[in-house]
Amino acid sequence: MKKLTHGLTRFTSLALALLAIAFFGGCDVNTRMSTFDTKGPIAETQLDLFWLTVWVTTFIFIVVGGVFLVAIVKFRERPNDTSPMPAQGHGNPLVEIGLIGASVLLLVIIAVPTLQAIWYTHDTPTDEHSKLGNWYPGEDLAEGSEDEVLIIRVIGYRWWWEFEYPQLGINTANEMVIPSGRAVHLELRSVDVIHSFWLPRIAGKVDLIPGRANAMWIQAGDNFASWAEKSGAEGSELELQTAYQKYLKDEIHDYYYGQCAEYCGDSHARMLFRSTAVSDDEFAAWVDSQRVGHTAPEGKSWDEWYAAYDSNPELLTGDINEGAKVFMGRGKCIACHAVTGNPRAVGVAGPDLTNVGDRLSIASGWLNHHTEEDVLDEEKQYDNFVKWLKHTDDVKPGNLMWKSKGNGIGELIDPEDPEKIKLLTDEEINYLARYLQSLK
Amino acid sequence: MSTVTETHEPSTHTGDKHVLKPERSNLGLMRPDHNKSVLVDWLTTVDHKKIGIMYGAIALFFLLVGGLEALIIRTQLAFPENDLISAQRYNQLFTMHGTTMIFLAIMPLNAAFFNFLVPLQIGARDVAFPRINSFSLWAFVAGALVLNFGWVLQALEVMGLFSASGPTAGMNDFVPSMGWFGYAPITGKEFTGAGTDFWIMGLQILGIASLSAAMNFVVTIINMRAPGMKMMRMPVFTWMTLVVSLLIVFAFPAITIALAQLMFDRTFGTSFFVTAGGGQPILWQHLFWIFGHPEVYILVLPAMGIVSEVLPAFSKKPLFGYAIVVFSGAVIGFLGFAVWSHHMFTTGLGKVATAAFSLLTMAIAVPTGVKIFNWVGTLWGGRVRFAPPMIFALGFVWMFMMGGFSGIMHSSAPADAQQQDSYFVIAHFHYVAIGGIFLAVVSGIYFWLPKIVGKMWKGKLSTWVAIFATVGLNVTFFPMHFLGLIGMPRRTHTYLEGFGWETYNLICTIGAYILAFGILLLVVDIIRCIRSGEPAGDDPWDARTLEWATTSPPQVYNFGRTPVITARDALWEHKHGPENRRIQYEEDDGHGIHMPSQSWMPMIASLGFVPLGLGLSLKQAGVPYMGYVAIFGLFMISLGIALWAIEGPGGYHLHPEEEK
Repeated sequence: MKKLTHGLTRFTSLALALLAIAFFGGCDVNTRMSTFDTKGPIAETQLDLFWLTVWVTTFIFIVVGGVFLVAIVKFRERPNDTSPMPAQGHGNPLVEIGLIGASVLLLVIIAVPTLQAIWYTHDTPTDEHSKLGNWYPGEDLAEGSEDEVLIIRVIGYRWWWEFEYPQLGINTANEMVIPSGRAVHLELRSVDVIHSFWLPRIAGKVDLIPGRANAMWIQAGDNFASWAEKSGAEGSELELQTAYQKYLKDEIHDYYYGQCAEYCGDSHARMLFRSTAVSDDEFAAWVDSQRVGHTAPEGKSWDEWYAAYDSNPELLTGDINEGAKVFMGRGKCIACHAVTGNPRAVGVAGPDLTNVGDRLSIASGWLNHHTEEDVLDEEKQYDNFVKWLKHTDDVKPGNLMWKSKGNGIGELIDPEDPEKIKLLTDEEINYLARYLQSLK
Repeated sequence: MSTVTETHEPSTHTGDKHVLKPERSNLGLMRPDHNKSVLVDWLTTVDHKKIGIMYGAIALFFLLVGGLEALIIRTQLAFPENDLISAQRYNQLFTMHGTTMIFLAIMPLNAAFFNFLVPLQIGARDVAFPRINSFSLWAFVAGALVLNFGWVLQALEVMGLFSASGPTAGMNDFVPSMGWFGYAPITGKEFTGAGTDFWIMGLQILGIASLSAAMNFVVTIINMRAPGMKMMRMPVFTWMTLVVSLLIVFAFPAITIALAQLMFDRTFGTSFFVTAGGGQPILWQHLFWIFGHPEVYILVLPAMGIVSEVLPAFSKKPLFGYAIVVFSGAVIGFLGFAVWSHHMFTTGLGKVATAAFSLLTMAIAVPTGVKIFNWVGTLWGGRVRFAPPMIFALGFVWMFMMGGFSGIMHSSAPADAQQQDSYFVIAHFHYVAIGGIFLAVVSGIYFWLPKIVGKMWKGKLSTWVAIFATVGLNVTFFPMHFLGLIGMPRRTHTYLEGFGWETYNLICTIGAYILAFGILLLVVDIIRCIRSGEPAGDDPWDARTLEWATTSPPQVYNFGRTPVITARDALWEHKHGPENRRIQYEEDDGHGIHMPSQSWMPMIASLGFVPLGLGLSLKQAGVPYMGYVAIFGLFMISLGIALWAIEGPGGYHLHPEEEK
């Protein structure tokens, strides 16, 4: 028995030590996708509730666990115990009723804020502060949308994200841009299997389910009213606004990481996305650049460029032109990808590539090319484009760009061996990467 | 039945079992009774104890298989962007790990305890339908074979010897890869290959096995109790068996229907879950979790039953609040059907439904908590002996409590929106499954194996099993709470560096190996006990319930004479209680003990599921002539059942009293 107690003590201390390592070893919980480092009212509400459940259960744990430990220590069998048989008690209804009552009370402590939070996080607010007409500095809003909050339609594909802004008439992929401090309504759709939209620092998940119109709302940072209330700042309207903008700039404008959270097949682990929270003006500027799109290489108009391309492509020289030719021609990229401005690049099966050169990641967040400070690293970007184009199937096993070899890029099939895909040459891929980089 | 036995009676009424000879059945075939071949004896047995042992052995085998799958998963995740295995292989491993552990390890381990213990605990000679019991066992084996057959095809595919054609042409996943809850529409034909068909057929067969076993136990417990064994005198483990059996009877039809619909979608082009055809993928989730949540309690209630037996035995005190423990078990079972949508908080249920399921989920914490209070109450004032079963039972209470707490955290739907489908959930249900169910099952093994094999444990290896298992499980799963909360989604075959997940993942992997070593030690200890343990005696633990009143191992007929029960904790009262609470035995009327005949038919019928399941699945993979194989399977099942009906129950009599 002594040996056993010894063993148990050793076990307990070892376990505690390892738990301590587990806890403190990775102590930094303010990481890119941490639900502890909240930036917005929804994640904050969810975190508050989480802590409440932690405190309530910790309390129960200490009380019940304490009694449990006392019981096994105090009432353990001692060697050569000659005391009479313990009293054969069968229980005590009063104790039982008391404990049931206490448990119910403790649960009510969790239940009430839970119900409040369910209602709060469910309905997109319609506050004046978030209505498009009241803050969007740009023009050309779809009719009737002045009184709505910004709507983004999130569409899940295996394995990338489409972000459509119906009120603004733009479309992007994998990196969405949102205005800080404004409520945004997300419409969640899926075209194939179930995905789940998770942007941990801003909001918990809601699933994208085929055949079902799901929705959620998110907001990066507090709106002006709740910021003013929380910070307790005082001063003139102008001073407050300045302080609020400073808060947004210092704490909220950021590059946020998100990921698909519902298993969706082979590359589920590689279905990430990003969300950039920016100021109203930056948002409007981004919308404009998405609307305008890109001219042909060297600033030519597309009519001019296509005239040359159709008559005598040899005349179009230089890396970017060569890449563009692959993009329109042998690469068959335009069969699936759209680039605003380019009248022939209107594919819909793949991500919209307008401003893809501006994005800090490709392959839905798996290949990143930015510095620690979230600034674009062009060399890395080039390498990533090359890697993606050359080793699509390694980067994202099972993806459509690879599998569709028989459809969209059918010309690339080796006629000698139909099973084998005749890839673009290394040179062509390098040009293509340069061209994609130029889309910004 | 009686007429048949009457006709056979004279020939066996010799008073010496050595001259018992097998009879011819109504088919004119020799019954496999009293067979000298050990193999034939075990294959055709209808003895609940042998069936229980086989359930246990097969379940332990699959526990090791599932554990191996888990180790590969953890090794792959030890480092970021590790490429030990491909994404597809990883997805297959986590799917099969979950499916194996739930359907092929924990459920049959529970079934092993049900089978071995329930008739002994209620003083019955066997279960109500011994041949159906045999059918359940072999149907379980058939389901396990079908479910795992994909590995063979996958190996052939890797060697370049097989590729799918026909309905799933171009798909090269032959092992299920859609996750153990198989959310539509990823189970559809355009997203997954024949692996899904193996999964559908395997689970369907396992469902039949579970349903037939469950009905058997409901009937047994209600009808076959010894005189005086009133419902409220039954051991808690038997009570939990009854609750679980009823849960199975009510819960499995939901998944049976869902699987049938899915099979129709894949095989005959219906559109239950296909959006393009007007179907609703979300329907699958509702059907699955209406089964799936009660299933959680199907897994855990027997564990609670085991612990409710072990704690009083090693505290020298009756269970605190027996009636409330029993009643809370029933309430858990009932409420278990009312909380399914808490698995679906992120699917957009709407405010009211989310709120309702949130509150109901909190409510189910109350009866669960009540059980824990009562276990602590049992220890209080007792004399706690740290024997091996007790160590694991105490470990169960502690670890299950921790799993329960993260469960309470999930019940708050908005908080769950962050936890759902992250590693936090993995941590939660592994604390329940390993810290809870597994430790309780190990406790049960340490408690009852001396009864089962008649030999006592050797040495103190059990302490090391406890140390490694508990340390391993905590080191593996405690960091996963953090991992989930800092954003790591589950079911991802790899992850990028720089999210703060590296350290946690490495620790989890190390923990998994510690846990695996503990389980290995357990296997060693079991083998040592069986091979070279000292004779255990009838009642090695000074235990409380009726199964300890008979020999270890029990005779084939369990009790020489039917016991008459006068109190709850019958044996304890018999040993330590007042005179009037002794176990009485019914007078021997010279009639002997009527034993059921052994039979091949249940096994033939249930193994017909193998060609049926494999045929239908392989047909999906384009293997020729598989339709005929499936039809042969159906024929085999029908034939087995028909012959089973025609052969007659048979039976013979034993006279243990006269042998003495």
